[in-house]
Amino acid sequence: MKFDTIIIGGGLSGLICGIRLAEQGKKCAIITMGQSALHFFSGSFDLLGHADGKEVTSPLAVIPTLPAVHPYARMGIEAIKNQLKEVKPLLMRAGIKVHGAHETNHYRLTPIGVMKPTWLSLDDFTRFDNPTELPWKKIAVLNLAGFLDFHAQFIADGLTKLGAECTLAAFSLEELESIRRNPSEMRSSNIAKVFENEKTRAKLIEKIKAYTETSDCIVFPSVFGLFSPHAMEDFRAQIQKPLCLISAIPPSVSGIRTQLMLRQRFQELGGTYMLGDTVKEGVMEGDKVHHLLTHNHGDIKMQATTFVLSTGSFFSHGLVADPYSIFEPIFGLDVEGPCDDNRQKWYDEQLFNKQPYLAFGVSTDSNFKAKKDGLVIDNLYVSGSVLGGCDPLKESCGAGVSILTSLQIADEIVH
Amino acid sequence: MSEEKRKEYDVIIIGGGVTGTGTARDCAMRGLKVLLVERFDFATGATGRNHGLLHSGSRYAVTDNESARECIKENKVLRKIASHCVDVNDGLFVTLPEDDLNFQSIFVEACLKADIKAEVIDPKLARLLEPSVNPHLIGAVRVPDGSVDPFRLTMANALDAKRHGADLLTQNEVLEIIKDKASVVGIKVIDHYTGQKNSYYGAITVNAGGIWGHHIAEMAGINVNMFPAKGSLLIFGHRINKMVLNRCRKPADADILVPGDTISVIGTTSSRVPYDEIDHMSVTKEEVDLLIREGEKLAPSLATTRVLRAYAGVRPLVAADNDPTGRNISRGIVLLDHEKRDGVSGFITITGGKLMTYRLMAEWTTDLIGKKLNNHKKCKTDKKPLPGSDKDDPKVKELTAKIYSGHSMALKNAERRHGSLTGHIPMGDNYDDSLVCECEGVSVGEVRYAIKELHVKGLVDLRRRTRLGMGTCQGELCGCRAASFLCQQHGGASKAKDDLANFLQERWKGMYPVAWGETLNEIQFTSWIYEGIYGLHALNN
Repeated sequence: MKFDTIIIGGGLSGLICGIRLAEQGKKCAIITMGQSALHFFSGSFDLLGHADGKEVTSPLAVIPTLPAVHPYARMGIEAIKNQLKEVKPLLMRAGIKVHGAHETNHYRLTPIGVMKPTWLSLDDFTRFDNPTELPWKKIAVLNLAGFLDFHAQFIADGLTKLGAECTLAAFSLEELESIRRNPSEMRSSNIAKVFENEKTRAKLIEKIKAYTETSDCIVFPSVFGLFSPHAMEDFRAQIQKPLCLISAIPPSVSGIRTQLMLRQRFQELGGTYMLGDTVKEGVMEGDKVHHLLTHNHGDIKMQATTFVLSTGSFFSHGLVADPYSIFEPIFGLDVEGPCDDNRQKWYDEQLFNKQPYLAFGVSTDSNFKAKKDGLVIDNLYVSGSVLGGCDPLKESCGAGVSILTSLQIADEIVH
Repeated sequence: MSEEKRKEYDVIIIGGGVTGTGTARDCAMRGLKVLLVERFDFATGATGRNHGLLHSGSRYAVTDNESARECIKENKVLRKIASHCVDVNDGLFVTLPEDDLNFQSIFVEACLKADIKAEVIDPKLARLLEPSVNPHLIGAVRVPDGSVDPFRLTMANALDAKRHGADLLTQNEVLEIIKDKASVVGIKVIDHYTGQKNSYYGAITVNAGGIWGHHIAEMAGINVNMFPAKGSLLIFGHRINKMVLNRCRKPADADILVPGDTISVIGTTSSRVPYDEIDHMSVTKEEVDLLIREGEKLAPSLATTRVLRAYAGVRPLVAADNDPTGRNISRGIVLLDHEKRDGVSGFITITGGKLMTYRLMAEWTTDLIGKKLNNHKKCKTDKKPLPGSDKDDPKVKELTAKIYSGHSMALKNAERRHGSLTGHIPMGDNYDDSLVCECEGVSVGEVRYAIKELHVKGLVDLRRRTRLGMGTCQGELCGCRAASFLCQQHGGASKAKDDLANFLQERWKGMYPVAWGETLNEIQFTSWIYEGIYGLHALNN
């Protein structure tokens, strides 16, 4: 099989790259095992939330101060500014509505009731402009009876600290009883499947409405709208009070939906999406990648002019650690990080301190072309969190790096 | 902080390990009024930091036949009184090509002398009985080894002590041993949860602090010469072996592989550590490498099995009184009557020994207390089953019926953990039956029962009672679910969030020495959720 570009990895980064290329007429394929970091999506994309332990208000003002190894520094501020303009329209063309702006971070309310700075939030989710003041006084934090993955008390605690008066309540719906009977089925994606039925959603709306008279806002787990992006509009129209959704323990309903919509957009543009497949081997010819072999396609060669590695970090198996080294498993690319192969240096003994292993990633040149044995591979680009050079947890920059490096690489490939 | 004098006891026991709780049980069963204080939680010291091996005694047969004899006796007792804490899997002592096969006959002879059934079997049969064993073995001996869950065993002793009227205080640390002239008359403690300091008075105070007993004795002005010996172990992500695997040679590093519940444990190393480091044990890279290297020789599949955690315990070894160098160290039971030894009355130290002989240690201690307090009741701890192993419990029948009509995996798991007490777990409706921890099958009902009945003050305690968070995800998803149940216990959600952060840190402590492969992937996922998405901090949430 022959393509213009083959992208390895179907997470946020791979999909954005594929869409951007396909929109410009390139024949692309994405090889993906299926799940990605989007499956535990918070509902918001971060650009740069923290730097040097301090909260960032204007990401563009801080990006130029980042160290040279940071993917943003490798891109350069001008390229970042150019690509930032493309993000919202691209998402919009995929049917994904977001609010927020790169000039100034807004805040999202986390599943334990904390405010965190972020860049773009899905339209279903509430955007807070002030992290220390809530627009409401009386808040009803509602849950479905027996749903353990939504931490109502923790959220109420956070809201109370911000001056709200919280009421906690849980209710059940007949339609959920069958999944409740199985001890491990009450998880957000299963519940969301039940709420794909419009009549059941209408019942849920009625239940929620019972609390609207006595409260200024309803907080509820994000457990509907798995395949229906417009479900939230119904809720808003009928509840008539602000409804603040919060993601539950993964799988994330909004994340699965976002991934599906990006995938659909990619396929509508003519992209080939090889779901459930993984790359076995990358075969080189000279200083170029010639073809890939995958598990599902046996000895059929996957050939392309350019390749993009968007395989994610450790939990996506884009990087692998054994007791002796951290390596890139498909091509054996050069991996660099803040320390050497002595595994004792990979971690800090305090879990909540900066963890050096998180900054490991594949070495590239300034155009994000991969390096192997110190030499640049001319037709292999690297995007997203397999890049390293940053700490997505301490800096809240994971989504931004995934999206922007992909767009940049797509432009490189097209021009 | 206010200070008040509380009621008086016959016996005050310091230390909530298996020896302390065992002694509390024995004393309470003989009608004594008992208080037990523990600075953290039950089984947090050496009790919970070993192989969990139900020794047959074979390991000591050649080097210390008397210990071996004690072991096999207690092994037989525990099978009866603690049936819900033990797994009777048997063990193999295997000879590998690099070992001396001549040792086998010496070993078998010593076992038989100690009354341990040791049977030489064909290596081919050994491979059939235990497929995980190194296929190149040249000799095998079958012995009555097994596994024992030390957390369960300790809790069962604590529960029985409570049933017989003992007061149990966890999170209460001794600040001072109160003396009246040359007599110990009580203790002053601080409650770590409330910050309150209290004094308690008792006729006899028992120092059952394990390695920390050195410090407790010091508080009474007494020197007990202890030598901390660190032993490190690794837990593997699933149960590789059915039988306990030992090397048939003189005891050395990493030569026992013990199956337990859902996992296997390899250990141990052995090294002296300075006394001031005993609260900060961590497993070194060299120890991890050695354990894997040696472990692979017993069961080659260890090489490709995920290492879940690493941990280390400190054995309380005691030097003979007249030997300050520590060369003459005993691994046997050490019972010190400080009245005789140091002229300090009302104070007893019980230390040394092993998990296997805890009951015997408790018996000896209680006999000595009885002599001093003129209580001549006989020890019955070897006859009366522990709570959980009591087949006469009226709830057992009902429970058995439920389990064998069998739909709930949580119920089956709970039965393994709580034995005949499982009937006390709320179950049967959708809420109580739903799973908090999917890896280990811990239900809402079990969590509620543990919080209510089993002295649970935080998530780490809950883990020891239920195995919540001990599975392959290491608390990644169940941590937050369970934390919500503890809001009331902590007096608020903020503290419960801090407790969650502390629980994750505690899980990480056992993961970082083996942080590669799936273990590193798992912790990245955990950090991503809790720090990235949730915005949880180490403190002040």
